Amino acid sequence: MERVVITGVGAVSALGLGADTNFSQALSGQSGIDLVQLPFSDDLACGVAAQIKYVLPDLIKKSEGALFDHFALFAWIAANEALQQSGITHDIDNEVNSGVFWGTGMGGAQTIEAGYVDLFIENKKRVRPLSVVASMNNAAAAQIALRVGFGGAVNTYSSACISSALAIGEAFRHIRHGYADRVLTGGSEALLTQGVMSAWEALRVLAITDPEDPARSCKPFSRNRTGLVLGEGAAAIVLESLSSAQARGAPILAELVGYGASNDATHITKPDSAGQARAMRKALADAGLAASDIDYINAHGAATLAGDQAEADSIKEVFGAYAKSLMISSTKALHGHTLGAAGALEFVLTIQALRSQAVPPTAFLEEPDPECNLDFIPLHGRTNQKIRAAMSNSFAFGGSNVALIAKPFVYL
Amino acid sequence: MNSKMNMSSFPSVAKLLADRLELDVNTIHPDTNLESLGADSLTVVELIFDLEDEFDVKLGDERPALVVVQDIADNLDRLIKNKTAS
Repeated sequence: MERVVITGVGAVSALGLGADTNFSQALSGQSGIDLVQLPFSDDLACGVAAQIKYVLPDLIKKSEGALFDHFALFAWIAANEALQQSGITHDIDNEVNSGVFWGTGMGGAQTIEAGYVDLFIENKKRVRPLSVVASMNNAAAAQIALRVGFGGAVNTYSSACISSALAIGEAFRHIRHGYADRVLTGGSEALLTQGVMSAWEALRVLAITDPEDPARSCKPFSRNRTGLVLGEGAAAIVLESLSSAQARGAPILAELVGYGASNDATHITKPDSAGQARAMRKALADAGLAASDIDYINAHGAATLAGDQAEADSIKEVFGAYAKSLMISSTKALHGHTLGAAGALEFVLTIQALRSQAVPPTAFLEEPDPECNLDFIPLHGRTNQKIRAAMSNSFAFGGSNVALIAKPFVYL
Repeated sequence: MNSKMNMSSFPSVAKLLADRLELDVNTIHPDTNLESLGADSLTVVELIFDLEDEFDVKLGDERPALVVVQDIADNLDRLIKNKTAS
């Protein structure tokens, strides 16, 4: 089986533009969450989001604008960064051996809602002609593939909040078993729309705006956590067989060594620690690692009451007494829950943690939940750590769970 | 074809194309090939959609061959003329 290495990363989120920026912001506990600024903000009870408010880089032509829903635009921005770092431009010579595996929860929801506004609010009799190609869930993967000339398998994964973690895991297997030399993988989401935010609000799982500081509204593993904060963005990873990376002289940032997927099969929304534990155990077995080989976990930690509790329990179940020695953090306190992009964004932060041997904190964890009594790296990040291997957890409505494990690359 | 004498919609077509494709409007002529401008079928579909709104006409189910810029203007002019006549 091929070893699978990471040769490029990219990210765009409310924390900023670029994988390095995202990690430095996370490490220093800078929040990308703030009062939401959208035309319909006044109609929402939930007042905060991890919204991208800065000007995006100008990477597409004006004539292509109608083709790009925000989820595809975020995708191409992150993918472009990862491809550049990896030293891949238009790889036409290897096109059949290069693929794109991308995750998104709801794809071009903004385009669909804009169409509904045209039809039902503006009383127009038609929607814009590119509504189909902009809104389809595979639009982001397809736009990436055609821009970089990757003509191998181009797949889109849509399983709510594990979508991009699933895409990464399946891309890992795709390369490992020799189906491709490289896969641009990751995920993107742009769901800060009136309809989607209203639907999340109705489910009563969104955080209450912190009355003193909106930036501190998401408090994973805290006793006073009130729910998740929606975010938007994308993250991309170039996964490559070790032989291909070495033949190209590509930079090797880390190695992906384990992937585990499971389903709770118990409830459509209520998380189940046994199901989560199955994903983590599968990832460890896949990596050939013992639980005590992991030093850091980037937790799913969405800051819901039930979710954080289940994750603390599942980590204890898998890691036993060693769980107390783990460093664990949820960076969602800072970049929000980017849904289908979450697995990829958090995996990129995990890679950056391995590369810098530093771990971002669980920000705003001032009142630890006594039921979540592990080292959740409260308030402050830690540098100069020894991280031999790191796990990134992603869990989703529908009961889906994914755990990914990466290590610093060591030539054996 | 009387449209070359009566190019009522050509300036609008050229202006919108120039804006979409980020080109100097003076480089767009009636006989300019659409593909050579970089206007693929999707660009043309978008363009016609906005021109239909601008002139309050509908191409409907017609699928005219659109090769040069004037072809778009001709079709629009015909629809505008029919609308005025009715």
